[in-house]
Amino acid sequence: MITLVIDNQTVQVPPGTTVLQAARSLGIPIPALCYRQDFEPSSSCMVCVVEVEGFSGLMPSCALMAEEGMRVRTNTPQILAARRAALELLLSDHIGDCEGPCRSGCPAGMDIPRMIRYLAAGEWTKAIEIVKRDLALPAVLGRICPAPCERVCRRARQDQAVSICLLKRFAADRDLQSPTPYRPICRPSSGKKVAVVGAGPCGLSAAYYLARHGHPCVIFEQKDKAGGMLRCRQLQEKLPETILEREIGQIFDLGVSFRPNQKLGRDFYLENLHREFDAVFLALGGGAADEHLASQLRMKDGHIEVDHSTLQTSREGVFAGGGLIGSRRHCVKAVADGKLAALTIHQYLMGGKAAGEPSEFHSRLGALTEEEWRKFVSSADLISRVEPADPEMGFSEEEVVREARRCLHCDCRKKKNCKLRQLSTELKPVVGTYKGQRRQYARADSHWEVVFESGKCIQCGLCVQVLNRNNLSEGLTFRGRGFGMQVSAALDKAPDLAAGEAGRLCVQVCPTGAWALKNR
Amino acid sequence: MNALTESSVREFVDRCVGQIGSTPDKTLPLLQAVQKQYGYLPAEALQRLSEWMGRSPAELWGVATFYDQFRFKPAGRHRIRVCVGTACHVKGAGEVFEAFRRHLQIPQEEDTDSQRLFTLEQVACLGCCMLAPAVQIDDVIYGYLSPEKVPSVLRDFLSQTQETAASARHRTASGGSGEVRICLDTSCRAVGSHRVYQAFEEVIRRDRLGVRLRDVSCHGASYLAPLAEVETGGRVYRYGCVKPSDAEAILHRHFRPQTLTARVGSAVRRFLDTLIEDRIGEPPVRFETTIRDEDLSGYVKPQVPMATDGAGRSGPLDWEDFQKQGGLEALRKCLFEKSPQEVLNEIEQSGLRGRGGGGYPAFRKWQAVRANPEKPKYIICNGDEGDPGAFMDRMLMESYPFRILEGMAIAAWTVGASEGYLYIRDEYPLAVERMKEALRIFSQHGWLGERIGGTDFSLHLEICTGAGAFVCGEETALIASIEGRRPMPRLRPPYPSEKGLWDKPTLIHNAETLSLVPAIVRQGAASMASIGTAGSRGTKVFALAGKVRRGGLVEVPMGVTIRQIVEEIGGGTASGKPFKAVQIGGPSGGCIPASMADIPIDYDSLTQAGAMMGSGGLVVLDESDCMVEIARYFLEFTQRQSCGRCTFCRVGTKRMLEILERICRGEGTASDLGKLESLGHLIQAGSLCGLGSTAPNPVLSTIRYFRNEYEAHLQGRCPAGRCRALIYYAITDRCIGCTRCAQHCPAGAIDMQPYQQHQINRDRCIRCGTCRAVCPADAVRVESGR
Repeated sequence: MITLVIDNQTVQVPPGTTVLQAARSLGIPIPALCYRQDFEPSSSCMVCVVEVEGFSGLMPSCALMAEEGMRVRTNTPQILAARRAALELLLSDHIGDCEGPCRSGCPAGMDIPRMIRYLAAGEWTKAIEIVKRDLALPAVLGRICPAPCERVCRRARQDQAVSICLLKRFAADRDLQSPTPYRPICRPSSGKKVAVVGAGPCGLSAAYYLARHGHPCVIFEQKDKAGGMLRCRQLQEKLPETILEREIGQIFDLGVSFRPNQKLGRDFYLENLHREFDAVFLALGGGAADEHLASQLRMKDGHIEVDHSTLQTSREGVFAGGGLIGSRRHCVKAVADGKLAALTIHQYLMGGKAAGEPSEFHSRLGALTEEEWRKFVSSADLISRVEPADPEMGFSEEEVVREARRCLHCDCRKKKNCKLRQLSTELKPVVGTYKGQRRQYARADSHWEVVFESGKCIQCGLCVQVLNRNNLSEGLTFRGRGFGMQVSAALDKAPDLAAGEAGRLCVQVCPTGAWALKNR
Repeated sequence: MNALTESSVREFVDRCVGQIGSTPDKTLPLLQAVQKQYGYLPAEALQRLSEWMGRSPAELWGVATFYDQFRFKPAGRHRIRVCVGTACHVKGAGEVFEAFRRHLQIPQEEDTDSQRLFTLEQVACLGCCMLAPAVQIDDVIYGYLSPEKVPSVLRDFLSQTQETAASARHRTASGGSGEVRICLDTSCRAVGSHRVYQAFEEVIRRDRLGVRLRDVSCHGASYLAPLAEVETGGRVYRYGCVKPSDAEAILHRHFRPQTLTARVGSAVRRFLDTLIEDRIGEPPVRFETTIRDEDLSGYVKPQVPMATDGAGRSGPLDWEDFQKQGGLEALRKCLFEKSPQEVLNEIEQSGLRGRGGGGYPAFRKWQAVRANPEKPKYIICNGDEGDPGAFMDRMLMESYPFRILEGMAIAAWTVGASEGYLYIRDEYPLAVERMKEALRIFSQHGWLGERIGGTDFSLHLEICTGAGAFVCGEETALIASIEGRRPMPRLRPPYPSEKGLWDKPTLIHNAETLSLVPAIVRQGAASMASIGTAGSRGTKVFALAGKVRRGGLVEVPMGVTIRQIVEEIGGGTASGKPFKAVQIGGPSGGCIPASMADIPIDYDSLTQAGAMMGSGGLVVLDESDCMVEIARYFLEFTQRQSCGRCTFCRVGTKRMLEILERICRGEGTASDLGKLESLGHLIQAGSLCGLGSTAPNPVLSTIRYFRNEYEAHLQGRCPAGRCRALIYYAITDRCIGCTRCAQHCPAGAIDMQPYQQHQINRDRCIRCGTCRAVCPADAVRVESGR
């Protein structure tokens, strides 16, 4: 056994152990992008660097073998600066959005590109599942949402934005009509009690997600029906009552109790709620911040004051959203508040601190040249925007598929399991520190199930290695050297086709979104 | 050009495999053979090779695309390689390259002219730094180029039947009355020494002078090349800058023709020549120098030859000369008198450190390899000298090939290695040729091969030529290159002494280090240990070039000062003005200002000063050199040579380069200097190999010593008048109205009226400097500003 000291902790490891493995065995986290267990260390990303007594400079711990008596440091200011700089350098040559502009532009953060991929494949159930992760009232919003997502849709550079709102409406309508509508899996009941005041879009949304988090709640509503401003006269023409009723019904089906004709300050009071329930969410809508509330909660400019990342009011356990806390001209914003409130209330109830949505790192595609643009749009159908034959009915199945195939899929298909993004979220590199020439945008997508985007590659070579291990493909290599080096197949053939049967293996080992499954 | 049918390519590849073999270490030789045949690597050839070698086409593709040498589309008939090494760069290689492009009308994004006659390329360094700017067309090197000489060079090349440059070797006329010695190494040839040699040969034969004519090792005084040395009657006469037409006069000055007819004939010819050429009174020789001559003795006297012992006297491939100078004595001692441990002790006591750059104690490497029980062990001579501005190893391989082989044999015997390679840069064809020949002669005499000298010691050596990748000078990359993999450096440890070639213990040294070994063993450790400073023993060979009056190859004891080299040996700057700085150590080194020229040259002082011994390039810079531009130049080089493996080097050097380019264009911002420094330090600390970790040195050292020049650029001025975006050319009232500048201007930017002062149109001017070079009245000035 070899004995070495890492961050003043002594550890014994068998010969042939790397410093990275030794550190991890001690529970000392060292980040690594290009490292993968059982693969030859490529020691290229350099975020795993450590300091070793006796060596000047920084050593990649993924390739450095532990030696007797070694003294290693893993978290000096120099190491942290180098890790962040390595990320900043990698990101300065990274071409791609983590999330598409549509999702960033959606107040509720709906995963639009993924919904569209399922719609294009005719997988309606999967599509509504994606929609409902972020949106409790899609059929409603599919009719009344002003669609800020479409305003930022990149497809507009080519012709017109993708018809996102109608696509979503199709997914939702299809679900409402289904004999077996989608029913989310709710966590088992936590036994906590939550009161939601107001059954408008904000309160309904909160109730829906609270139920999914395992906190079935009680909704207090001053009117006799749920819906709030969704029942106002201006919307009646666009929003048939049956749709509204059915979508609200789906929420109530999750075990939400509804108490109509209950007005705050008349029939019940905040102090009592606060006493009887573990948490309270106020979603009474705009203009409802009356004297009663003002006497209980700190106000600001005529609205209840909240921490906008958690919707927490000045009183512990009391949260507020929707029109109560600021102007909510768009219903979708109120719906987003409801979802956020459900999350922070969940965090609060589970004993943690209400922290809100973790803010994730976001790489941006940046400007594309004309030539790059042509490559970028090449995988989409270049037909003009599909208009439903019957506007009343929305898209037909055939129309939905045609429209969905116009999507450029700006988002990264591996946004949830990209090591580069995860580490960037953790280390917070400043994008733009090192601006300069970057690679050309390129995409190889002739393969039946995988796609390779070289602009997201960090040159770790794991795909090259994994293909070398079997005979399923023609194999890959690096072409050239230095800044222009790239993963390539022999004679510049398409890398995705060269990966052949082993394409999935590349996706599996790729630490970023360079290799991805097309339909994720 | 061969007709490229699939079957003919396959046949050719099959033949190559038959001759060369198909093991992984034959990857480069096979690719080189194909490229030599077709001028590029046809797809069918790669396919066929992959079948033979049992490797995927992708793997071979990855290897081939790494190197600059390989092409994937057909090339022109002739290959023009413009040297952009340091010395060439500071003397205007960039302008020469553009002039070729313009003259051949090659579009920016291509490299071959429309008639496919010439392919134009840049080469990192031809190792002819004193002839800067230099260019190689096929096998012919031209020196002292300038943009306006481009058309005549091309004419000259096309009009010449390819000279059989090497034909003169080994032909030594017998005869006792005297000896003429001419060096035929690469840089002397570039100024025509082979033509001089032929002229001497011709006269000696015709007039039956009975003089022995020899090609000898490099004399080092490149500034005098071609140099002819005549020895007669116990005295030595040296003639510098000799032309072929001088041969007769020089010979006849010292040797009388043997027969009456020859004497009469020669007198008549001389008379006729003077009539025809109308050269009455012109001295036959441009320079005559003897060792007592102040100029040459200033150059030679402070030098201490160890690696270059025998400079200018011994025949590079002359087996007798080699032995006369003590060759094989050391190897014999090893084989028959000493134990390996004794030799190891000698090496330790000598204090020998690696001459390739890092200065790692040689003894420790030897000991580690010797102590390693694994077998077989390998020895490698690193002759992949890629630093622009350095040509020591080239000269040693061309001039003292036997010495290097003896050094390798001694080292191999000491550490127990039985096989090995000499890895030599492809840009050094003569070095390859001479080492090959030396290898053959060595083996023929039984000093290589099985059971050397009847002992148990066997050693088999092979030569491997590089293919144009600077990073192969890094030892782990070099090993990968021999093994036929993509030459990417890996993390050390493990060091090659532990896991080297084919994962076996490997001793790897550069050519200069190995060439010092025989002397240490022959004369004892003290012979080296008594020279130099406490931490740096012995001598170091430097390639002295740039703005220096006497440049060439110099070998000095460690510890001499920079000033001694530049002023005593180099004779100061060519212009007579004080020098501004020296760039030492090439792309891994740094610039040391004249104010610090009194620091001694040894490993540690140089590192402390922010430079590095490197492999020993020493380029003198004067007031006309812009330090920001020099830093940019070196970074551009390392950035282009980065293997691409680690983030800091691959992306970091690129970002540093972009900042420097901005500064040179006058677009830098106040925060750029701080950013250069912080990123530079991170690259130094975080890069995987020596290439990356030393790449920021030229930038950081110039910021350290010449910050004011950087700041001037931030304000839009280039004090040295070099950065094109920050200068303009103007014609002063000294103009005599001769129109020469307008005739030569490649951009048509000079408006002229004969006999009136000309004017330069600043919008059209491309700032190539041609007008300034051709102006007979020195009327073109460079002004700072935009």
